[in-house]
Amino acid sequence: MALVKLISLEKIYQQGKIAVPALRGIDMEIESGEFTTIFGPSGSGKTTLLNMIGCLDKSTSGEIIFAGNSINQLSRNELADIRRYNLGFIFQSYNLIPVLTAFENVEFAIRLIDKHSKKDRRDKVMHILNEVGLGDMAYRKPNELSGGQKQRVAVARALIKEPKLVLADEPTANLDSETSEEVLQIMKKMNEELNTTFIFSTHDPQVMEYAKRLVEIKDGRITKDQRRD
Amino acid sequence: MKFLINIALKNMFRNKLRTFVSVLAIAFAVIVIVFARGLIDGMIESSYSMYIHYDTGHIKIMDQEYEQKQRLLSLAYTVDGIANKSLSEMENELLKLEGIEMVIPRVKFGAAVSTEEELVQMMAWGVDGQKELKFTNLERELVEGRMVSSGNREVVMGTELLRRIDKNVGERVTMVFNTAYSSFQGATFDIVGRIESNLPLLNKDLVFMPIDTARHLLYLEEESTELLLVTDDRDKAINYLPAVKNYLSANEGERYLAQEWREGSSFIQLLQVGERIYNFIYIFLLLLASIVVINTMVMIVNERTQEIGMMSALGLKKKDILKLFILEGGAMAVIGSFIGSIAGGTLTYFLSDIGINYGTAIEDMDILMTTIIYPNFKLEHLIFGFSLGIVITSLTAIIPAYRAANMDPTEALRDI
Repeated sequence: MALVKLISLEKIYQQGKIAVPALRGIDMEIESGEFTTIFGPSGSGKTTLLNMIGCLDKSTSGEIIFAGNSINQLSRNELADIRRYNLGFIFQSYNLIPVLTAFENVEFAIRLIDKHSKKDRRDKVMHILNEVGLGDMAYRKPNELSGGQKQRVAVARALIKEPKLVLADEPTANLDSETSEEVLQIMKKMNEELNTTFIFSTHDPQVMEYAKRLVEIKDGRITKDQRRD
Repeated sequence: MKFLINIALKNMFRNKLRTFVSVLAIAFAVIVIVFARGLIDGMIESSYSMYIHYDTGHIKIMDQEYEQKQRLLSLAYTVDGIANKSLSEMENELLKLEGIEMVIPRVKFGAAVSTEEELVQMMAWGVDGQKELKFTNLERELVEGRMVSSGNREVVMGTELLRRIDKNVGERVTMVFNTAYSSFQGATFDIVGRIESNLPLLNKDLVFMPIDTARHLLYLEEESTELLLVTDDRDKAINYLPAVKNYLSANEGERYLAQEWREGSSFIQLLQVGERIYNFIYIFLLLLASIVVINTMVMIVNERTQEIGMMSALGLKKKDILKLFILEGGAMAVIGSFIGSIAGGTLTYFLSDIGINYGTAIEDMDILMTTIIYPNFKLEHLIFGFSLGIVITSLTAIIPAYRAANMDPTEALRDI
């Protein structure tokens, strides 16, 4: 069974009296453990598609099925619950909370789940920080970290709760190629070790090289869907 | 929740200057509230006390007609007993009523002393010296000599009055007055005591003499212009009033009037209305201070739009985001209100000892109020200011917090 299934997905934004279609009938299935990259020019609908899959936005028509359940009719709070327990996000601009340390930023994601003891939480956070190579920087605040280190914290935050799906919106856009490589290696490793499903939106050819599946999107339509071994 | 509190507290220190200004605005409003409440409470308490001591007692009994003419110090409408019983019998019967602890008779009349330059007019009170000392603050304000004793032709006067007639304690003074028969009389008295008071009435207008001497000189029988009843608790006087009224009407019909101390003075009624109005002014003041907090919170929400989007993406619900921002506003409210209540309390405590001299501002006003007002330091004023500060400021923080909580996560994440 597909982890995510999109059926005739459409999204139309209303800008004043003008209707602007962002997605024009997307049909796609994403299996567990995939490492998928969605690419395409600016304004093609990549981020909109990611937001739909990430339960951050609702479609105008069509259906999204996540882990076997249709999410179209869910309330805002029910969608928040899906995000809380099943999804991880990595953003282009990291979006770390500046007043919290790297440790606390990562811990934030599992504090919301509320099922771990304090010791379990600490062990899990330190483990994932070690995995992304930031074990010795756990108590630094974001302003004491480089761009690459911040993005690694964001990766750790996305992965700490062992989500079914991680969505990464242009995760390497603010990183140099060497740092991008490091971050991508970490994500690749997590994908292989934990079988976590990753969906990227990017322009970056370096990211595309890592992808097992490449989905091209233009004017809100899928124009190419290619799997690689 | 603990985690949200932790983040809210840390967020407060992101922009220290802005937080400081917000906290300062709240603190300032709370200082004003705590101090104003203490000052007004002190003013009201002082006025209540002055009116009770020198005008109304807890319950005042007088002739119905006298109520209209008491400002003229008329001797034509006195309290002279009840149902063929003498005034002292009436007093004894009143003392048997529930809650009545003391009956104080007073004979008030106009008098004058002629000096070389002018005719100094004054208000003379025939009183039971011992009862007056027990009931009022005169013991403390009698700075020289002693209180008048019955059977003697002697007076006690205020410092300012003595200065105007150029007399001192130990000297004699001749006073002129109208008797109950409207005849002009004169008598000479020994000055046995001097009062130094912040109450202009006591200092410059009033002369005390023994009530039996006054009655004798005024050709009154056993009569008083008014009887003041002192109860075991001024706040219960209203409960004891019906029994007093029943006693009077059962024995003397509509002749006598009994008034509880609050009814006796329009100034007291004004103060009571004022007390309620001030509570609205405090809330208004805090709302003004809250504008600074709202402004800060709106800026915070605008600055942290992406962060709100990220938190929403991580699964934080609308109510959690609302809590987070209310907690941040609430933390500023707690700190500001705490600083404000301590500073306001300190100021009130300091001034409750020294007092604030209104001097000539109220000296010539026709109200019973001392020229020095002592703010009342009470823990409840600090708690009131602290609680009001927290409640009002936290409530106003809901407005920007609600805006943050309602943000569309995709819009928030798009914000740069």
